[in-house]
Amino acid sequence: MIRLIRDRSTDIKRTRLLTFHFDGQPVQAHEGETVAVALLRAGQLTTRTAPNDQAPRGLFCCMGLCQECVVVIDGRVTEACRRIVTDGLVVEPTNGAP
Amino acid sequence: MTADCDIAVLGAGPAGANAAIQAATGGCSVVLLDEAAQPGGQVWRAKSTSILSAPANSESKAGDALRRAVNQSDITHHGSTRVWQIERVDDVWRLYLLQGNQTEKMTARALILATGAREFVHPIPGWTTPGVHGLAGATALFKDALILPGKNTVVAGAGPLAFFVASEIRRLGGQIAAVITPNSRSEWLRAIPAMSARPDLLARGATWVADLMTSGIPIHWRHAVTAVSGTSQVDAVHFQRVSPDWSPVDKVRTLNADSLCLGHGLIPDTQAAQLAGLELTYRAELGGWVARVAPDGITEVKNLFVCGDGAGILGAAAAVVQGRLAGLAAATGFGAQRSENLYQQLLSQHARAARFGRAATALALPRPGLNRVATPNTIICRCESLTLADIRDEIRTGATSTNAVKAGLRAGMGPCGGRYCQTAVSRLIEHTANLPEGSVAPPTPRPPLRPVPLSAMADDFNYDDLPISKPAPL
Amino acid sequence: MSTTHDIAIIGGGIMGCATALRLAEVGMRTIVLDQGDLGLGASGVNAGTLSLQIKRVKLMPYALAGHREWEAMGVAVGFKKPGGYTLAFTAREAALLQERQSLKAQAGAPIRFVSIDELRKAEPNLAPGIVAASYCPEDGYANSSLTGRYYRLRMRAADIDVRERCPATKISQTSGGFRIETPQAPVKCVRLLIAAGGWIKPLAGQLGVDLPINVRVNTASVTERMKPLFSAVIGHATGLLTMKQKTDGTVLIGGGWQGRGTPQSGRGTVTMETVIPNLALAQFALPALGSARVTRCWTGFEANVPDFYPLAGQLPGVANAFVLGCVRGGFTIGPYIGRLMGDFILGRETELSLFDPGRDFNEELQ
Ligand SMILES: Cc1cc2nc3c(=O)[nH]c(=O)nc-3n(C[C@H](O)[C@@H](O)[C@H](O)COP(=O)(O)OP(=O)(O)OC[C@H]3O[C@@H](n4cnc5c(N)ncnc54)[C@H](O)[C@@H]3O)c2cc1C
Ligand SMILES: Cc1cc2nc3c(=O)[nH]c(=O)nc-3n(C[C@H](O)[C@H](O)[C@H](O)COP(=O)(O)OP(=O)(O)OC[C@H]3O[C@@H](n4cnc5c(N)ncnc54)[C@H](O)[C@@H]3O)c2cc1C
Ligand code: FES
Repeated sequence: MIRLIRDRSTDIKRTRLLTFHFDGQPVQAHEGETVAVALLRAGQLTTRTAPNDQAPRGLFCCMGLCQECVVVIDGRVTEACRRIVTDGLVVEPTNGAP
Repeated sequence: MTADCDIAVLGAGPAGANAAIQAATGGCSVVLLDEAAQPGGQVWRAKSTSILSAPANSESKAGDALRRAVNQSDITHHGSTRVWQIERVDDVWRLYLLQGNQTEKMTARALILATGAREFVHPIPGWTTPGVHGLAGATALFKDALILPGKNTVVAGAGPLAFFVASEIRRLGGQIAAVITPNSRSEWLRAIPAMSARPDLLARGATWVADLMTSGIPIHWRHAVTAVSGTSQVDAVHFQRVSPDWSPVDKVRTLNADSLCLGHGLIPDTQAAQLAGLELTYRAELGGWVARVAPDGITEVKNLFVCGDGAGILGAAAAVVQGRLAGLAAATGFGAQRSENLYQQLLSQHARAARFGRAATALALPRPGLNRVATPNTIICRCESLTLADIRDEIRTGATSTNAVKAGLRAGMGPCGGRYCQTAVSRLIEHTANLPEGSVAPPTPRPPLRPVPLSAMADDFNYDDLPISKPAPL
Repeated sequence: MSTTHDIAIIGGGIMGCATALRLAEVGMRTIVLDQGDLGLGASGVNAGTLSLQIKRVKLMPYALAGHREWEAMGVAVGFKKPGGYTLAFTAREAALLQERQSLKAQAGAPIRFVSIDELRKAEPNLAPGIVAASYCPEDGYANSSLTGRYYRLRMRAADIDVRERCPATKISQTSGGFRIETPQAPVKCVRLLIAAGGWIKPLAGQLGVDLPINVRVNTASVTERMKPLFSAVIGHATGLLTMKQKTDGTVLIGGGWQGRGTPQSGRGTVTMETVIPNLALAQFALPALGSARVTRCWTGFEANVPDFYPLAGQLPGVANAFVLGCVRGGFTIGPYIGRLMGDFILGRETELSLFDPGRDFNEELQ
């Protein structure tokens, strides 16, 4: 096997880790990344259930359009793929309504 | 009316940022607006601040160069700014912006729209399962946070994008279960003459494919993913051989994987153009419904320009040039001197880049057989969890427009505003009602362009300012 | 193919469709033409409020009958009757409320004034500062988006010919009635009903009748799903706000604020200069709405004549031609007045009297 495209993952340096909470559970994130990315890294793929059939949903378009990744922060529905995490941030799933 | 600036540019991707730079060079005051924090657009999206250092690739280098150019120009750049409404008031454009949870207003004499594309993912059984990401969307993960979509990923889609996504997953140390593409090898060979308009890009693509082949990663040409199993995560990905029109044929095969990147081409994002007053026409070769736009971005509406993938999917290289042309055209309208030389040179550059772009787009244009992949239980409208059967039944009662299906079922009334179902709904209506491709238009656009918190819209309210209107007749 | 229809109806809004159903009931060969989709004009984009508190005194009997029709239409149109409150925040508004709702109550609407305590118990999320409120248990709403779907199914079952996306481009009188040009085959008919909402004027003009019609561009907005915040239909004494939370959790906000555009120039457009105060007033009345995200704002055309009463009857001077439209609160009253119109066209006595389009619009209606 000949690899023409090298694995460069070890050359990536990230910021320090911080902790926020999703659905009551602590989740680690690198400072400066989005809630969605942190949840993806933590293996938390389901970020809400759909209102009509309660089916699990998560990150999809990754560009702030599809609204699949929305979570509740400070009582507001927020796109997780566009919201930067901060230390101690409390994030809740929307689950159904809204 | 006086305006806050000469030219507002919506979208700081390759098209918009270059339009802004060109217009500023011509001496115009220019405001560049984008919901991303940094210029770059989709293709050259900037790394998030969580990345301290990382190896560069062509996208990051091009993006860095663009960001430097914007910084060094006289442009006023407002990042993290969502434009949610566009109005023409007297002879100026009024834009409503969302910054954080605040609404701001601004006016401009001319408006350049460079809103780019969004992705078309044709519904397949299981596509709502967490772990299924858009193919183009996944590139945002690689560019922004340098994170993988999963541990073992199936990459599925048409055109060059599938191979770019595979190569990026490889570069970030991920594992690919397989690349599955409905294109055949001979389609690719046939596209090469047109693509050699940009030999650099062609060569890059060849490396992506060669890497997969020499590394023993299966590439299933002329195949398509037809289902995903798993409820709260992807357990397996099912795929089938497809005919030249992409109808699934033969037995279903299965791959174990925990993630899927799935896409069926790009669609011009035209909602802003519609709000600004442009009508759409169907141009399959440009990715679907688009406004009528000249190569230099000029439209049917005065002081309104459109450029880049939002005017038709021709790719980043063409977007750069069309952006410059639109910037030039807009500035010329305000008295800037136009060098005829530069103009002609840009026009021929655009023609060349567009030739490459059209060939790449042609490979990814969704074909009719895709309609056979969804089953009656497949969700079409994600926001409202409406299935193919729901929508088909509605069409059969006579609801043969997207507006009628939307009104009757709420397909397109959810928070995504129909962005992720309307293309499939149009196709489904055409298919079910035996109408020609391109005859069923997207629904009437409704502002805001993105959901906006009511409190942000309702800013600065003073009860005493309510108009004391004449009460309704008794 | 030269079938002649007993009647052609131009306009597949609530007025045209309701009339068509009545005529088909007695066996008239009926055709309905709409330039767009069925029921997606004003009838498909209105706020859906079925409120006696915002009806004109003289129209109250029609509105009461309309409410009965809606109740019978039921779930197919998303009918709900949670009752409705109209709020006053100032002394001036309270006086206005007192005067107007008393007259409406006298006209037969079961409207009463409620104490602030009673209001708070029923709707605890309303803002402080309310000084007076009226209540009507008959008030409710229907989902106007379902108008097209509802009538499409009913008209199909009644064997009515329906042509959607088929504008009437030219009307001419023939020996046997009328000939209507369309992009598809022309339509020949013995009788003609113009029920084209905001587009009545130019169509009547083709038959030489100049009706003094003005068109308003009403706006409405909706939020995404919210947890339950209120259950009744909420109105404001000035009429500048109506809102309701649907069973799916979305909140629909209207209040007659004006957008821009004309029926002739295509669709209207919202202008934030009027949408913003409408939404602000909604948030003022119900602060928790502030955290909702607005997903859509839109407009629709609502026609009226100078006395703000309906046009419902014979098109002046043109035998066998009729007009129905310009009904204030037309969504509420539509299903009923459409039936009356059908009876009128059939030459029958109508349960309540109609509104002669040939009247003097500057005189007080008798
Ligand atoms: C998710 C995605 C990933 C892609 N990745 C690649 C890739 O890796 N390689 C490639 O060759 N092509 C890629 N493409 C194709 C892409 O369209 C490029 O051809 C190129 O980015 C087009 O440039 P553009 O300037 O026309 O639009 P874009 O680069 O898309 O720029 C448009 C900009 O407008 C902004 N915008 C849009 N609407 C609003 C609004 N209402 N308010 C504020 N800002 C707004 C967006 O944030 C965006 O930055 C991708 C497309 C998508 C959708
Ligand atoms: C935003 C808004 C909010 C409202 N809120 C309420 C409310 O809460 N409660 C209430 O009771 N009322 C409300 N109304 C009023 C109510 O919606 C209208 O009175 C009623 O729907 C009018 O029905 P219509 O059939 O006359 O008109 P429309 O529904 O407009 O129907 C007219 C039809 O004629 C068609 N047409 C026009 N020209 C042609 C042609 N040349 N050929 C063929 N077809 C043609 C159009 O396409 C249209 O479908 C509201 C109106 C608006 C706009
Ligand atoms: S993933 Fe689509 S909006 Fe966040």
